[in-house]
Amino acid sequence: MAFVLFLSVFLIAACGLVYELIAGALASYLLGDSVLQFSTVIGTYLFAMGVGSWLSRYLTRQLVARFITIELMVGLLGGFSSTLLFFAFAHTAGFRPLLYGLVLAIGVLVGLEIPLLMRILRERYQLRELVANVLTFDYLGALGASLVFPLFLVPRLGLVRGAMLFGLINALVALWSTWLFRSHLPQPLVQRAASALVVLALGAGLAFGERITDTADAALYSDDVILARTTPYQRIVLTHWKDDYRLYLNGHLQFSSRDEYRYHEALVHPGLASVALPRRALVLGGGDGLAVREILRYPTIESVTLVDLDPEMTRLFSTHPLLVQLNGGSLKDRRVRVVNADAFPWLEANRDTFDFIAADFPDPNNYSLGKLYTTAFYRLLKRALAAGGAASVQSTSPMFARQSFWCIHETLKAAGFRTYPYHAYVPSFGEWGYVLATHGNWQPPQRLPRGLRFLTVQNVASLFEFPPDLAPVPAAPNRLFDQVLVRTYDREWREIVR
Amino acid sequence: MSGPSRREFGFAILGLLPRSEARIEGGFVFESETEGPDLGHRLRDRAAFPAPRSAKRTETLIIGGGVAGLSAAWRLHRRGYRDFAVLEMEKQPGGNARWGENEVSRFPWAAHYLPVPDPRQKLTRELCSELGLLDNGQWSERHLCHEPRERLYIHGRWQEGIEPAVGLGREDIRQFDAFHSIVGELRQTGAFRIPMEEGLARSTPAIRSLDQMTFSQWLDNHGFSSPYLRWYLDYCTRDDYGTPLDTISAWAGLHYFAAREPHELGPLTWPEGNGWIVQRLLERVGSHVHTGAMARQIRRAGGRWHVLAGNAEWEARFVIFAAPTWLASWIMDPPPARWPFEYAPWVVANLTLRRWPANRGLDYAWDNVFYNSPSLGYVIATHQSVKTFQPETVWTWYMALAPGRAADQRRLLLGGDYAWWKEAVLADLERVHPDIRHCVRRLDIFRIGHAMPRPAPGAIFHEERRRRAEPAGTLVFANSDLSALSLFEEALHRGVRAADHILRLASRAGA
Repeated sequence: MAFVLFLSVFLIAACGLVYELIAGALASYLLGDSVLQFSTVIGTYLFAMGVGSWLSRYLTRQLVARFITIELMVGLLGGFSSTLLFFAFAHTAGFRPLLYGLVLAIGVLVGLEIPLLMRILRERYQLRELVANVLTFDYLGALGASLVFPLFLVPRLGLVRGAMLFGLINALVALWSTWLFRSHLPQPLVQRAASALVVLALGAGLAFGERITDTADAALYSDDVILARTTPYQRIVLTHWKDDYRLYLNGHLQFSSRDEYRYHEALVHPGLASVALPRRALVLGGGDGLAVREILRYPTIESVTLVDLDPEMTRLFSTHPLLVQLNGGSLKDRRVRVVNADAFPWLEANRDTFDFIAADFPDPNNYSLGKLYTTAFYRLLKRALAAGGAASVQSTSPMFARQSFWCIHETLKAAGFRTYPYHAYVPSFGEWGYVLATHGNWQPPQRLPRGLRFLTVQNVASLFEFPPDLAPVPAAPNRLFDQVLVRTYDREWREIVR
Repeated sequence: MSGPSRREFGFAILGLLPRSEARIEGGFVFESETEGPDLGHRLRDRAAFPAPRSAKRTETLIIGGGVAGLSAAWRLHRRGYRDFAVLEMEKQPGGNARWGENEVSRFPWAAHYLPVPDPRQKLTRELCSELGLLDNGQWSERHLCHEPRERLYIHGRWQEGIEPAVGLGREDIRQFDAFHSIVGELRQTGAFRIPMEEGLARSTPAIRSLDQMTFSQWLDNHGFSSPYLRWYLDYCTRDDYGTPLDTISAWAGLHYFAAREPHELGPLTWPEGNGWIVQRLLERVGSHVHTGAMARQIRRAGGRWHVLAGNAEWEARFVIFAAPTWLASWIMDPPPARWPFEYAPWVVANLTLRRWPANRGLDYAWDNVFYNSPSLGYVIATHQSVKTFQPETVWTWYMALAPGRAADQRRLLLGGDYAWWKEAVLADLERVHPDIRHCVRRLDIFRIGHAMPRPAPGAIFHEERRRRAEPAGTLVFANSDLSALSLFEEALHRGVRAADHILRLASRAGA
């Protein structure tokens, strides 16, 4: 009996500390400045516990029933605290008031627990023994919580489900208290039913907690998240709204199914259709298989090599029914070879040549990606391009990042290519830019494959005309030792993005 | 930009962990081999070495397979001369340009870059052209240091470049400008050149007098009191010469700045540092190199040089002594005049990281330096990789044991066991990367007892230095310490100059 009682003390103490740690960790994660967050959360929490202890004097009757009610309230508030906070952060401007409100409320309730419990147990133990035992298990519980939190809770369960697990423990303590102190309860069934309800709610939360996290993630996107994967390389998120599917990598839009045909037709056909009898093609990046789909429209193509870093990306786009439908099963075509490799080292080791190459990398928003837009990289690209072949390079927006676009153009020129810049309008992206790079003279294609929705032989030539607001601006080539592009790109997009 | 990723989330929380240190493997490197940090003592005490078991002959024997010795070999080979051998006491040639390799990357064990040589440095440019670094006046993009190059951790944040720029007052800025303008004037004199010997003839008495005082005395005389400026200069002299401001000759300290044209291109560098150049040289002359062959006695008999090395006795007409010059006092019989320099001890650590520490502010650069740290910061070996995704990395952490007497520092160096030095490395990095202990998988440490000469006042115009540096007779010295400046270019120059001298003697004898 004594053991069970003190185990309860141990557990509620552990729960109390866990909520405090969760609030501190969550605030640090979402707001940064962990020293400030932890210190204010701990301060508020301890202060609230003091308030709770002081308030305990006003509870005079029905102590056990009150104790059970408090346990259930702590369980509910604490258990759903991180869920509430995540949602508040994503959907409201009231994150901080909610944070400190929750911390205050939980703190007051936790501050009530120990004084109440000591008074309940007063009749069973001597004061000397009681104080010693209760405080011992209280502090032991704190130790247990502080170890479990970083070593098990956060890495295994995460903050959302971790909080629910401990809320569940609070509720279970309440539930078994209805048996433990049943002699003190006039209507134990009421308390038992209430406890069972809370246990169920938290148990359900624990079971479906992962979905809630995804939904919290989804708040960052305006549409429904239908698929989310974290790979060692990136976070892949697919969203859906009406007939629009959108792919995001690390939060950056890659395509919208409503207009991706514009982007990919423009990426592939002006170059590929101008090559006489193309047989071998290479796609760098573009693990979605959409550029490959366009390439496979040419009957003379014998092989397409797709080099994409992330195996999960190419796996999803070869197996997920919806994604396979988008790319027309291009990655499953027998002419396609998928290589999961880092493009620059792969190209450095490569000795093959290709009649058409599409470089479809994410925009150069950091120094790592910037390497894929340097003269060093383009010289390798030139080596891999067969005589009479054409390479086309996605080159960010000449509208939003005008100098970046012309910098990529300049870089290709500095690598020894003949260059033909062009652009197309893709509604979900805006005005988008490409550079066609060849060894010799290039003539617009006289024929295009059938079934295109955007390009015609007549309108291809117009893509190569730049209105004054997109016209060339002076730019220096981007080099490994002087990545002007990354700095330019960063500056230009910062002027656009709010 | 999107919010923090889940992974960053995890890191943020791991950062709050009590210091539970993941297991870190590693130990001292190169110490079980012939050298050990106490080689000098064994030679000095004439410790027992096994008797030679074979006799070998060659016309020219190069002692020392570091950059000076390999440069001499490169020159001989280029001139069509083949009758030579290089003796290297370690299992791995390269000296201060040695390197290592593991599953993540190659990495340097000491020297890790070569400044882009200006057009006056013909010899260095000749080597660069031969190695494909310089092609039609264009430097190889692949081998120039990629961006971002350097950053400094100062006042709790990272700034671009190593010259302090954050928190400076107007007076600090004035002093930086004044210092740079004096350096500009000194550059104009032409007395500060690389190789240093080429400028000495232009030295005026005023320039000679710079070698009679320490750099800090010179700074005092010029009213340079800014702590930012003095830290920066101290960092530079420790970084290149292992010698602090109050010990280094003002001439040497100023040479660091005045001998090079300000260049917008970063240095040439490779994952394995200057080990890359060593490997290219070994591709050419490696078949002449004998490793694990420590020369322990050199004497003259019957008009020839007799050298005991490893388990062989070598007989040669000519000797190029490219090992550190101080060693000659212990192995030449009879010993030459006293070699007057102290040598700075160094510690170099290579850390293999299972993941990158959380990083705030500026991106990771190639060279990452901490303001007011006794260390020289760390260099990222994987920086020159062209991978876009690099989850693991190797960092090379440097520290010159600079203050006070070199012998005292050497005792400190050898007194600390592996656990002590490991703690020193981690504690230094922890100032800037609090979660470093969670990231390190392996930490190896190289203790170098005599890493490089200290160019103390009087070193540059020292009679013995100038005498020893002038090639004469059938045994010539070639180590970069003849310049008192431990630079790749000096080693190359000394080695080639010694080789040219031997080629002259050999052709005269042959004719």
